[in-house]
Amino acid sequence: MLRSALTVELLLGLALPLPLVAQVKASEPAAVSQTVDGTKLSITYSRPRARTRDSLFGKVVTWNEVWTPGANLATTFEVNKDVRLNGHPIPKGKYSIWMVVRRSGDWTVVLDPRPDLYHEAHPDSTAQQIRFPVQPEERPFAEVLTWSFPEIRTGGMTLAMQWGTVYVPLEVEVQPSYTLGFPKEGSSAYLGEYEYRWKMPGDSAKPMSFTVSYENGTLLGRWNPLPYPEWGRFALIRIKDDWFIPGFLDDKGALYEVMKEMVFEFKLEAGRATSLEVRGEDDSLMATAKRKN
Amino acid sequence: MPSRRRFLVICSVGLVPLLPGARQLRAARPVPAAGPHPTPRPGITAARVLSREQLADTPAAIPVFDQVREIPEIVDGIRCQCGCADLEDHYSLLSCYEGEAMAKSCVVCQGQGRLAYRLHRAGKTLEEIRHAIDARYG
Repeated sequence: MLRSALTVELLLGLALPLPLVAQVKASEPAAVSQTVDGTKLSITYSRPRARTRDSLFGKVVTWNEVWTPGANLATTFEVNKDVRLNGHPIPKGKYSIWMVVRRSGDWTVVLDPRPDLYHEAHPDSTAQQIRFPVQPEERPFAEVLTWSFPEIRTGGMTLAMQWGTVYVPLEVEVQPSYTLGFPKEGSSAYLGEYEYRWKMPGDSAKPMSFTVSYENGTLLGRWNPLPYPEWGRFALIRIKDDWFIPGFLDDKGALYEVMKEMVFEFKLEAGRATSLEVRGEDDSLMATAKRKN
Repeated sequence: MPSRRRFLVICSVGLVPLLPGARQLRAARPVPAAGPHPTPRPGITAARVLSREQLADTPAAIPVFDQVREIPEIVDGIRCQCGCADLEDHYSLLSCYEGEAMAKSCVVCQGQGRLAYRLHRAGKTLEEIRHAIDARYG
């Protein structure tokens, strides 16, 4: 233990004053990050290479070891908002990340609130840690230990660690910043068809149709004709009173983009929308519409 | 067909013809750190807001500077949401219209100024305007 501590001190003492000095390392430093809906997740680590070592797990990394998936200083997991990791709540913050590696069955992911640990710390279980099981998978051989985000979705991302043939995916759920749900009792004020005009040079735009409907608990907007093919369906997401922004939906009805640069401001008379204005990010008028029915 | 964001810019500006194949994209706005709105400074005026003459190189921005010049006591109570609020010597959205005047070119500074003016003209209170700014730009 003392030797480990001295090693840490020596390494830190040598490394900190000379951060810009070129140095070849067996495990070069790296960082990856991904933002989804305002939640930024970052992994900072050093990347060990297999370097012809034939058995990484069970030999280089011994079974039942509390191992940091990296090298040198422990790999850190940092997130700026609360998330769920494989369904487990993770408060925002910076952690060192560890895995208890096992010959068979589940491994255990350990998030330790002390981010500045050395890889030899192998932290014992504490009440402050977050621990949960994961199922390692087998993939084609990867020479260099790699953290990546192979998938991103509207509501989250997949974070994955791979080294050798071991692949450990972690499903991250972020807190959605918008909700598509809209109360049915409030929807009737907006439903119907509007005569819609984009603001174009010289008022040259032809009138078009804009329809507001209500389906499956969501207020939907639709232009006819469509300005863009992929703008076929969008949810009207309420941001304030009678102000909405479009949330574009894919063919399966899943939200894929929220466009705050376009705000629909409905004007209501006697509890019913009679017209609307569409305003851009600079608050200039992009379009107007009047109720047809 | 122009890109979608190009289309939005065209609709916003209303001056540029639709050009097939136009590819200019507007850079994504960084997400600013949230913070409280400032308290308007007693006796604040628009004396430091750039004049029309000082905006000769950005004539499109003159109308919004004119609007802000009319309501400095309101604009001084709004935190700018474009990301500049944490800069040194920056007090409020009014600061964006003074000195180097980021609002000469920043659509978010301009948008907040126009929105504040529009809502003030509609009889909204500073608190209501702040709420609207937060909903739109926060």
